[in-house]
Amino acid sequence: MVTEVAAFRGVGKSYGRVRAVDGLDLVLRPGETVALLGPNGAGKSTSLDLLLGLREPDQGSVTLFGGTPRAAIADGRVGAMLQSGGLMTDVKVRELVELACKVHPRGRSVTGVLTDAGITEIAERRVDKLSGGQEQRVRFALAIAGDSDLIVLDEPTTGMDVSVRQAFWASMRAQADSGRTVLFATHYLEEADSIADRVLVLHRGRLIADGSSAEIKARAGARRIAFELHDADLPADVRFDEAVLRSLPGVQALDVTARVPGVRTVRIRTADADAGVAGIYRAGLYPRGLEVTGVGLEQAFLTITGELDRRADAEKESVR
Amino acid sequence: MTTLIKLEILRTLRNRRYLFFTVLYPALMYVFFINAYGSGNQAGGLPVKTYFMVSMATFGAVGAVLTGNAQRISLERKSGWTRQLRLTALPGRAYTVGKIAATAVTTLPAILVVFAAGAVQGVSLSVPQWIGLAAALWLGSFVFAALGVALGYAAAPDAVQPIVMITYMAMALLGGTWFPVSGSLETFARFNPVFLYNKLATFTRPGHSLDLAAVAGLAAFFAVFVAGAAVLYRRDARRA
Repeated sequence: MVTEVAAFRGVGKSYGRVRAVDGLDLVLRPGETVALLGPNGAGKSTSLDLLLGLREPDQGSVTLFGGTPRAAIADGRVGAMLQSGGLMTDVKVRELVELACKVHPRGRSVTGVLTDAGITEIAERRVDKLSGGQEQRVRFALAIAGDSDLIVLDEPTTGMDVSVRQAFWASMRAQADSGRTVLFATHYLEEADSIADRVLVLHRGRLIADGSSAEIKARAGARRIAFELHDADLPADVRFDEAVLRSLPGVQALDVTARVPGVRTVRIRTADADAGVAGIYRAGLYPRGLEVTGVGLEQAFLTITGELDRRADAEKESVR
Repeated sequence: MTTLIKLEILRTLRNRRYLFFTVLYPALMYVFFINAYGSGNQAGGLPVKTYFMVSMATFGAVGAVLTGNAQRISLERKSGWTRQLRLTALPGRAYTVGKIAATAVTTLPAILVVFAAGAVQGVSLSVPQWIGLAAALWLGSFVFAALGVALGYAAAPDAVQPIVMITYMAMALLGGTWFPVSGSLETFARFNPVFLYNKLATFTRPGHSLDLAAVAGLAAFFAVFVAGAAVLYRRDARRA
């Protein structure tokens, strides 16, 4: 019994001198909904191409359901929607979906697929007369045309407006709820946060984070503390000292601004907000307008990739 | 695979502009040429009406399969449709087979319309000769369909158009499409598939049978074009 849907083992892929994927090790398990995050050029599309057998890795191996990607596709175990997946022109939406359902070894009913993708109303339209968002839905229909075990979606909601995107997420969730493994690449962090139960972060071809959305947020420093310090509140014998704030437990970043004389705005990103707040009072400070907020996945993502970029730049400097 | 082929044929028949140029244009050219040459004259040892009926039928057929295959394949490679198809259970050859089938469906009417114009103009052949000629020209068009597929995988859409036009016009010019090729030109023309294609019609002349040398030459070209298309297809698949 194979319990892995997909596996990357030591996979590397270069285009000329550019290392698109660098030593990728990854296993997808049945039933997971996995988001693949990363800035442009992080290697998301290349990774998906390798997974689907559209490209061959330079090093390592990629398996789907224990075999080659091509074998899995020929068995109808995979449905995929590509970012650059053009559509056949001069045909109606229904005809194209019909084709996809018929060639799939475990094809579903055309009506069902049209409904699930939310394109029943445009079924009689010509494919070349659709808007960008409608085209994306037709591509999605091609990905779910059969009873596949794994659905792969590359940037599925690009070109959709907000309301359509919400409806699309519902379609994606429905696929996941029916027990399929869903892997999608995105740069909308909200999408990853609200749908995925596992988030992978790719950066410069490497996997730099792998966990639940909450874990990724925690890793980036979970919370932000913001408040104002008024000089008037300080006891007569105490002078403001940034070092006090810096030495609070769990501090990862500190930002102090003084736009109005006598008033300082303090922003702290911390791994331990509770101890941080207690420490502020213990230091004899009186914070005003105290706010403790969780950082979003977006912030977490920027933090993780930003730290890596800084480290890489620093290494370059030291080499020079 | 039959589903894809059927859909390819259907969408080709829906494309009115393509149909006009492949089916009606050669017949219009035919009428133009026999009038320009003087319909009572001889060309290449044949009445002008007969000579140009064949050369315009082949002209139309070659144009249809070359542009139809090369441009569509090139465009669909660029749009990513060929990538999307590779994510289906269809074997890789299904796509090109569908393309060739779709263009083959349109070449037959293109040939028949020119023949009808010829018959109206007074070209007289026996029934077996009409049928044999139509079959020979239709089958011969597959050689150029293979070339079209190869060109479609060879270059991007903006480059394919001029490449196809130059190939097409050069082959037609030196292949006897607009004037009979004779003398020293004929020595080179034997390495021109369009010239060999036109030669398929010689069996309709009294005292001639099917030009087997032309058939062998076309078979060789077909093998070369198919091999070239296969190599270019694999190169394209590697680049994804």
